[in-house]
Amino acid sequence: MIVPLNHILLLSGLLFSLGMFCTLARRNLIMMLLGIEIMLNAAAVAFVGASLHWQQMEGQAIVIFILAVAATEVTIGLAAILVVYRRTDSVDPDMDAALWEKGGSR
Amino acid sequence: MQPATPLPNSLIVTAAALLLPLLAFGVIMLATRSRHRLSAAISIGAAGLSLLAAVYLLVQHWQMQAPLIFQAVWMVSGQMTIPIGILLDPISLSMFAVVAAISFLVQVYSLGYMAGDPGFGCYYGCMSLFAWAMLTLTVSSSLLQIYIFWELVGLASYLLIGFWFDKFSASEAGKKAFVMTRTGDVAFLLGLVLLWLQLGTLDIPVLTNPATVGAQLSPGMITLTALLIFGGIVGKSAQFPLLTWLPDAMEGPTPVSALLHSATMVAAGVYLFSRLFGFFSLSPTAMAVCLTIGTISMLLASTMAMVARDIKQVWAYSTISQLGFMLMGLGAGSLFAGAFHLITHAGFKALLFLCADVFIHHCGTNDMFEIGRQGGRRLKSAVVCTIIGAGALSGLPPLSGFFSKEMILGHLLDSGHPVAFLAAAVGAFLTTYYSFRLIFIILFPRDSGDAPPPESHDGHHHAGSEWPMTTVLWCLAGVTVVLGFFQTPLHDFLARAGTGFQAATPAHHSWLPVAACLLAAVAILQAWFEYGRKKARQIGWVEQIPFLADLFGQRWYLDRLYRYLLDTLVYRGVSRLFTANDRRVIDGALDGLGRSTIGLGRVIDWVHGGMIQYRLMIMVAAVIGLILFIGWGG
Repeated sequence: MIVPLNHILLLSGLLFSLGMFCTLARRNLIMMLLGIEIMLNAAAVAFVGASLHWQQMEGQAIVIFILAVAATEVTIGLAAILVVYRRTDSVDPDMDAALWEKGGSR
Repeated sequence: MQPATPLPNSLIVTAAALLLPLLAFGVIMLATRSRHRLSAAISIGAAGLSLLAAVYLLVQHWQMQAPLIFQAVWMVSGQMTIPIGILLDPISLSMFAVVAAISFLVQVYSLGYMAGDPGFGCYYGCMSLFAWAMLTLTVSSSLLQIYIFWELVGLASYLLIGFWFDKFSASEAGKKAFVMTRTGDVAFLLGLVLLWLQLGTLDIPVLTNPATVGAQLSPGMITLTALLIFGGIVGKSAQFPLLTWLPDAMEGPTPVSALLHSATMVAAGVYLFSRLFGFFSLSPTAMAVCLTIGTISMLLASTMAMVARDIKQVWAYSTISQLGFMLMGLGAGSLFAGAFHLITHAGFKALLFLCADVFIHHCGTNDMFEIGRQGGRRLKSAVVCTIIGAGALSGLPPLSGFFSKEMILGHLLDSGHPVAFLAAAVGAFLTTYYSFRLIFIILFPRDSGDAPPPESHDGHHHAGSEWPMTTVLWCLAGVTVVLGFFQTPLHDFLARAGTGFQAATPAHHSWLPVAACLLAAVAILQAWFEYGRKKARQIGWVEQIPFLADLFGQRWYLDRLYRYLLDTLVYRGVSRLFTANDRRVIDGALDGLGRSTIGLGRVIDWVHGGMIQYRLMIMVAAVIGLILFIGWGG
């Protein structure tokens, strides 16, 4: 293996941090979803690197699972965001109860 | 001295005499306040019955050998038993009679004076309250009871001084009187607490028994408590440091001044002193302080009276000075001299106030020059009665004041207080001078020609209701003339007061009465020279010395001093401290409580809010913390 494991873990950690920052800081539900995706992929990168390092195939199998979970998560998440947007006219995560109620009565 | 076997008869009579005014007060205040004549009738009826009861008691017990005590337990608290009761002995009986008589006469007099006043019923209610409190005070058997009624008397006085409360100066005067007497009462209360802690009882017969008190209290403690109680006396009787409230108290209706602030209420202080005479005489220091305070007050008040223009103020100052005179007599060790002067003074000072009231009523002014100019001398009976009263005040021979003053002067001389005796002589001179200054000013007005005669004022006053006023005046004048001749029987009667009463030696200085009369004659002559004779300019020798006139007129700057002390000590010191305490501690605590509740609510609200990212952030922080903890702590 040409790339050492440390570099891969560094890349994975960086990606995870970026994703976490995106999830925590962006005031936009879609961007939060994106952040979560990035974090998931960071975990996937770490798995691939580890499986390569120890020559174990289970890690790669887990990555397939992660991709599947990510796909379902995005489907459900986007659907939920769409509902929120229809109800409140915004994709702001700071959902006020009042705003929610108002939207509901529409 | 042992309590005699109770005589239910006397008890019933006394209790009736005490309860009737209270009942009258209750009925008037609750039911008949708006019906003026009925209220007056109830109040006067109660006072009259009290007077009858007092006379009956006096006659019944004239030959009494031992004091009568009726006591019942009022409340029990642990080891303490607080009794309430009635103590009848010569001192209390005579004072009881004096109070009942004066309050009855003044109430009758008020029929004329207060007629047409919108608060007529209320006025009689307050008068009844006062009569009740004062009568009970005189026959109280324990100091605590005296203290309670002492305060009630103060309350009645406050109500009556501020009776015309829509007048600013009247309500201010009421407040001042209340606060100043209260200042003394604080000391009084402290003295009572000390006594209670030391002796466990406040019964007067116990306190005045030198054997028990001397055995249980150290001399220093006796002096301390005596001085503290004396503080209350100083406040109530308007003596030296606390004397300025009394002249201001003249804002009230004049009959009130006559009743409360000359004859009865202010005399309560002197009465308390004579009540506790046996106790006070155990402490030579307290007696010396009493003598000194009495002397100072007497001289100060006499000098103030010399420049006063307000007729009521003159008599108010003279009251202070006469009370000081009584305290001098008591302080010199003669119970009888003080008590006798108290009784005679009650008569003639009430007379003087009521006469002053007639002048004021007719001329519509308090200024004696103005009264003279408006022809006050045409009010024959008032003028004659004023002269009788002033004569008694100055100690002229056939009148009651002569006898009692002679007694006090003789005792001051006998008991070896030459300075006090000289001061008393000067005081007597000044008293005569200012009394006759007032009389000459009224009798011989300057430029009286252009003034309207007083008859023109009669139209809008109730001429029909004049008779109660004049009748009362003549009654009091008769008492003033006659009372002095009862010195010996009264002395025999009071001599049976039991402990603490030293057999008073009659003044055996044959030159003393002559000298006193000469002194009085000189004073009258001087007053005549300055105010009476045809070419007199009616400017006294004091007023020709601007410094003295200013000093006396400003009441020796005592009021300024109090104002200054009040400003610096109370407003700038204590009150600022309390304000800071209020703002920082109390308000701060409450505000802090409110603020922290709101803050807590905000935090909870924030946690419950829909903002999902904060929750995420907390989760992340928790996880990072966990990782760090596991990584380091292992």
